[in-house]
Amino acid sequence: MSVSRDFSNDGKQLVIAIKGKFDFSLVQEFRQAYSHIGDSQPTVIIDLRETDYLDSSALGMLLNMRKSLGSSVKAIQLVNAKPDVRRILDISRFDKMFVIA
Amino acid sequence: MKVLIVDDQPANQVMLTGLIKRFGHQVSCASNGVEAIDIFTSLAPDVVLLDVMMPIMDGFKTAPCLKALSGDVHLPILFITALDDQETLLRCLEAGGDDFISVPFEPVVLQAKLNAHARVRELSHSLKDKNEALAYHSNRMEREQNIVSHMLANALQENETEHSFLKTYLAPANEFNGDLVLTKGGPLGNFYLFVGDFTGHGLAPATGALPVSQTFFDLAEKGLSVANMVEEFNRKLVRLLPDDMFCAAFVAELSANGERLTYWNGGIPDALLINGAGQVEKRLVPEHMALGILSPDEFSSQVSHCFVEENTRLITYTDGVVEMTNKADERLSERGFEILLLRYACERDFEGLVNALQTFKENQEQLDDISLVCLDCGGVTNLPVSKPENNVTHLPFRLVVYLKEDEIKGQDPIIKLVDSLIHLEGIRAHKTALYLLLAEAFNNMLEHSVLQLDSGIKQTGQGFDEYYRTREQRLAELKDVEIEIDIQYQPDSSLLSFSIASNSENGFIECQENVEGDEVLAFGRGLQLIKNFSSYVDWRDHGRRLYIEYDLSLPPA
Repeated sequence: MSVSRDFSNDGKQLVIAIKGKFDFSLVQEFRQAYSHIGDSQPTVIIDLRETDYLDSSALGMLLNMRKSLGSSVKAIQLVNAKPDVRRILDISRFDKMFVIA
Repeated sequence: MKVLIVDDQPANQVMLTGLIKRFGHQVSCASNGVEAIDIFTSLAPDVVLLDVMMPIMDGFKTAPCLKALSGDVHLPILFITALDDQETLLRCLEAGGDDFISVPFEPVVLQAKLNAHARVRELSHSLKDKNEALAYHSNRMEREQNIVSHMLANALQENETEHSFLKTYLAPANEFNGDLVLTKGGPLGNFYLFVGDFTGHGLAPATGALPVSQTFFDLAEKGLSVANMVEEFNRKLVRLLPDDMFCAAFVAELSANGERLTYWNGGIPDALLINGAGQVEKRLVPEHMALGILSPDEFSSQVSHCFVEENTRLITYTDGVVEMTNKADERLSERGFEILLLRYACERDFEGLVNALQTFKENQEQLDDISLVCLDCGGVTNLPVSKPENNVTHLPFRLVVYLKEDEIKGQDPIIKLVDSLIHLEGIRAHKTALYLLLAEAFNNMLEHSVLQLDSGIKQTGQGFDEYYRTREQRLAELKDVEIEIDIQYQPDSSLLSFSIASNSENGFIECQENVEGDEVLAFGRGLQLIKNFSSYVDWRDHGRRLYIEYDLSLPPA
């Protein structure tokens, strides 16, 4: 599985990890990963530690997720990006819409 | 049994020899002490009958020499004497005699005494054998322990304990520690901590440290998540450990900025987050069973996360800490430990806390291994972020790929191309950027020139899905298409160039502004990214060919 979805023990964080290549081929899987998150307003954490490749379609998917989740989540964080993945996020000014940590 | 008779009187020798042979023993004779000593080693008698008064060397002098010759095995010496005054008898015993028999004697008494001493001799023999076996096993055990010690020490060489933000106190109950504290920085400047407590203590649990530490260091170096780590530890330990052995463990990852703590606690006492004011902020309670019990199907790697404030410390310890007892045989207990902990928390006095624990224990024997770890959180770790080496290749090359509809419809051809390219020296470090450039250029060509899709519909969430649905439909109907990707490398300029064109009549969509005011659009970002990541972009052949240059000598990120 290239996309994994795990709630933390207290249910307050939803961690979605993407392995390898993050692009439109994961459209369905990625959407499913953030669906049915319940009413507990979790923080969504996108863990990019194992993401090696990323293109503009992935950026679009992240923006769609943000739009679709709206206020049903506390925050969305993009974490553990490798330096070269981080550069793509920075150049696209994703820091304006996500917490990149 | 072999009996040696030492007597200067031939008549006595004959009489004793006859008697003892009849008892069923072998007999040899010597006429004085010197003779006896001469033949002793080759003869190896089990019992010696020794006359007191003899020429050359008498019985009193002979006895200690014979005892010395017999080494570790007890040699019974019976003095034969006509003298029965107390003083002579005492001298016999002092000289090392074990018994004496006064002449004249009853044969049955001699027989009984010989048999009794033979039994003692036999016991001594078996004792010596056992001692030798014991010494052998003890040496062997020591040697084997040394080997294991050596392996453990080597296995733990990667342990990074010398960080300013980390303090540890480890006190094994004996030479081998059944507790295991592992620490290592990850590739992103993140930091991993493993605190484990194997059942029991001593050599057996310490050997469990080998597979766990190797796995920990490997996975930490790769920067894997805590959930992946614990799954792997459990998988290994379930397979390796006997059923009655397992490993309670607390595994944590601190992010590079120090703000995010991810942990998994399987059977370790509550770890504590202590805030800047020295109070318990949060208890990181055990939510899982220890490692090495549940099969991979039953095992849960579900982790917990917390966001930590500045000046927060994580305290984690094994149960040896709270189970230590004082002189009055009272357990320290979790409550007792927390009282001590908070006393020293404000001052951040780790040494003070350790001293307090030692004072509590005094000279009481320590029954379990003790591990105590304090990790400063909430501030950047300042650990290095690993970067791939950037050695640029000196060989010029050119690679031209023609993709027809079958290759285009199949699995992403771009990732395959990049996977091949990264085997060339100096390319791997740039793989993310190269993939981005190639993927953006290829998708732009395919989606706009060939498939005639309109990016505008990606603006809404549904539009986004619709766009990719349409893409799939049109892709399935694709015929007579060829996309050319021409990759060239010039070592002089260290420039890698891509030229992408198709046999379609339509050109590329030119770059759009992707930012309108503060709003970032969900589309139109691709060409902007190409411009950002390349050193030169050009549309050639009336917009039908996209030419991109990328400088491999620049740092990848």
